[in-house]
Amino acid sequence: MKKVWLIVMLMGILAVAGLATQTLTVLMPIGGGYTIESQEILAKGFEQTHPGVKINMEFVGWANLWNKIVTSFGANNAPDVMYIASRWIPALASMGALTPLENYITVQKEHMYYPSVWSSLIYNGHYWGVPRAMSTKVFIYNKKLFKENGITKVPTNWDELLADAKKIYNPQKGVYGILMAGKKFVSTVTQFEQYLCANGGAIVDPKTGKVEIDSPQAIKALEFYKELSKYAQPGITNWTREDLIKLFEAGKGGMYIDHVHNALKAMKAGIDVGFFPIPGGPDSNAPYSTVVVVDCIAMSSQTKNKELAWEFMNYMSTLKEQTRWDTLQGFVPPMIKEAEEPEFQKWYWKPYIQALKYGHPQAAGIKDWVSTANAVLNAIQSVLLNQTTPQDALKKAAQTIEILQK
Amino acid sequence: MKAKRSTPYIFLLPLLIAFGLFLIYPLGKVVGDSFYKFSFLNPSHKIWVGGANYSWLFTFKLYNPFFSYFIGALLRTILWVGGSVGLKIFLGLGGALLLNSEFLKGKKVYRTLLIIPWSIPWAMSAMIWYWTLNGQFGLINSIFLHLHIINEPIAFLGYPTSAFISTFIVDAWIGLPFMVIMLLSGLQTIPKHLYEAATIDGAGDFTKFAKITLPMIKPVLLTVSLLSLVWTFNSFAPIWILTRGGPVTATTTLPIAIYNTSFRYLTFGGVGKASAMTIFQVLLVTSVSLIYIKTLKGAES
Repeated sequence: MKKVWLIVMLMGILAVAGLATQTLTVLMPIGGGYTIESQEILAKGFEQTHPGVKINMEFVGWANLWNKIVTSFGANNAPDVMYIASRWIPALASMGALTPLENYITVQKEHMYYPSVWSSLIYNGHYWGVPRAMSTKVFIYNKKLFKENGITKVPTNWDELLADAKKIYNPQKGVYGILMAGKKFVSTVTQFEQYLCANGGAIVDPKTGKVEIDSPQAIKALEFYKELSKYAQPGITNWTREDLIKLFEAGKGGMYIDHVHNALKAMKAGIDVGFFPIPGGPDSNAPYSTVVVVDCIAMSSQTKNKELAWEFMNYMSTLKEQTRWDTLQGFVPPMIKEAEEPEFQKWYWKPYIQALKYGHPQAAGIKDWVSTANAVLNAIQSVLLNQTTPQDALKKAAQTIEILQK
Repeated sequence: MKAKRSTPYIFLLPLLIAFGLFLIYPLGKVVGDSFYKFSFLNPSHKIWVGGANYSWLFTFKLYNPFFSYFIGALLRTILWVGGSVGLKIFLGLGGALLLNSEFLKGKKVYRTLLIIPWSIPWAMSAMIWYWTLNGQFGLINSIFLHLHIINEPIAFLGYPTSAFISTFIVDAWIGLPFMVIMLLSGLQTIPKHLYEAATIDGAGDFTKFAKITLPMIKPVLLTVSLLSLVWTFNSFAPIWILTRGGPVTATTTLPIAIYNTSFRYLTFGGVGKASAMTIFQVLLVTSVSLIYIKTLKGAES
């Protein structure tokens, strides 16, 4: 009899323990400023206010985030909550991998953000993510190199940009007019998109989804990218935007397009840094331009506990947490109230926040970003290596992207 | 006690189960998948396409007017593997002979040093080489500039030909220690008296190498080169870290092409196409291996 009681008690304890612990798997990227410690705080904080909940945080390097997500869906083992780039939303959503969020996001929550932030997160009429990180980019320049080469004002159009890069370019001394990216890497596509959007072009029309990568504006942008690359560091086909800071810090580059946090890094290294917005191209009416990149938190369609998953997502996107995160990482504030924080009043933040006015969403209307980006990358590289003309390369890319858009 | 007839099969059973589970099942799945269009994001949604994936291999062209994406990758793989394995064998044999020679002092130090490239994780080695080959901060450029071999820095990984050569050199560097150690063990089994007899007969160094050393280590040489061949065919990490298969498609070997097709061309339903490519790769590696094994058996007899 004693034995029976013991077994019953044991089963009881196990049942209670089973009920008490609900586990939520959360996938986060690491690399750059995204450390394990800075993100595990969230799990610990949430667990404290939610007894019986266990947040299982998984981390993966930036470069493998997409693969990890794709393979985990394939294995029916997707995380409940995951960090994604908003450019992946169309592919993930159209394959039924995500949970639409309009029933969770309250009007009050929606209004906390700048309305334009949401445009990257809506696809097919549904909301697929909550903003986590937003960035704009402007030109960072080396004031000393500008002065030494007799440049007294920052360039405001493409002709001036090219002329200034030419003036600074001095390969014998290891100094280059402009630093550029050309390696097979997502940031290379974004770097090219800066010129593409500045010239009024787009990869696809954000509203209709029609492929526009072979438009005259796009061809002009790629021609300019190649022309500029003559005054950039040699072999740009093996440089990523992420690595350019190493050249800029070493005083080897006159200017380049990057985030504010790298500008701060260069300042720490002793470079006298200035900023100027990306000038509009000859075919565009807008004086300036920047590509707005939004990363977000999304909920898997495979999650068993949607309410709890949302609760955690909500916890991650309070004003306090968003402010902590953006000031820590050096991102542009996506929340209206957040922009009033003292940190964002500093002089080096102004150009980045002002650039929002001329912002273009990075991937609006693109159905399959990863494949599309690959097609654009092949076009950029083949032009930089003189294998083909901008016109032919972009025509080829357009043919591929047209299949992807169907 | 006489063993039952079934006894050997019972002992073989675990092997057969493992063989079926880890080899036959995945391979069968790859063959099956190659007739469907589907992607990892939605694996239950499969569309039967028959042989369309196979015809895609020979018709989908990307920037090269002559070869399809797949054929280009296949030819590149053969060249790349040839370069890498050739280097490994040539330098491996040279290194082993040097370490086996009598005039070399401090052999133990060299042998320890030799293990380093092998003991570092591949990804780490590739990262080290990524910066060593860099056009602005790279060690190679700095050495070449100081020795006046070049006048201005070269971005080795930035141009098609130099990127192609650089990647297989890095791969060879990673695989070299294995080659040297295996060949060295082969060399050490050769009885000394053979050389002594040859010396008495008036044989020169080259004759000794060609008539004694080479025939004696032939089985080891064939075995290690076969292993190296198979590993190199499947080499992925060094290329992915150094160039991601670029510039354009200059270093897109079959493993890179398969990866790109399955993970990157999602709306194309890439898994089926990647499976079709995989089958060709398996056939290629298997047939090359079979030829090798045949030669090996010939050598042993």
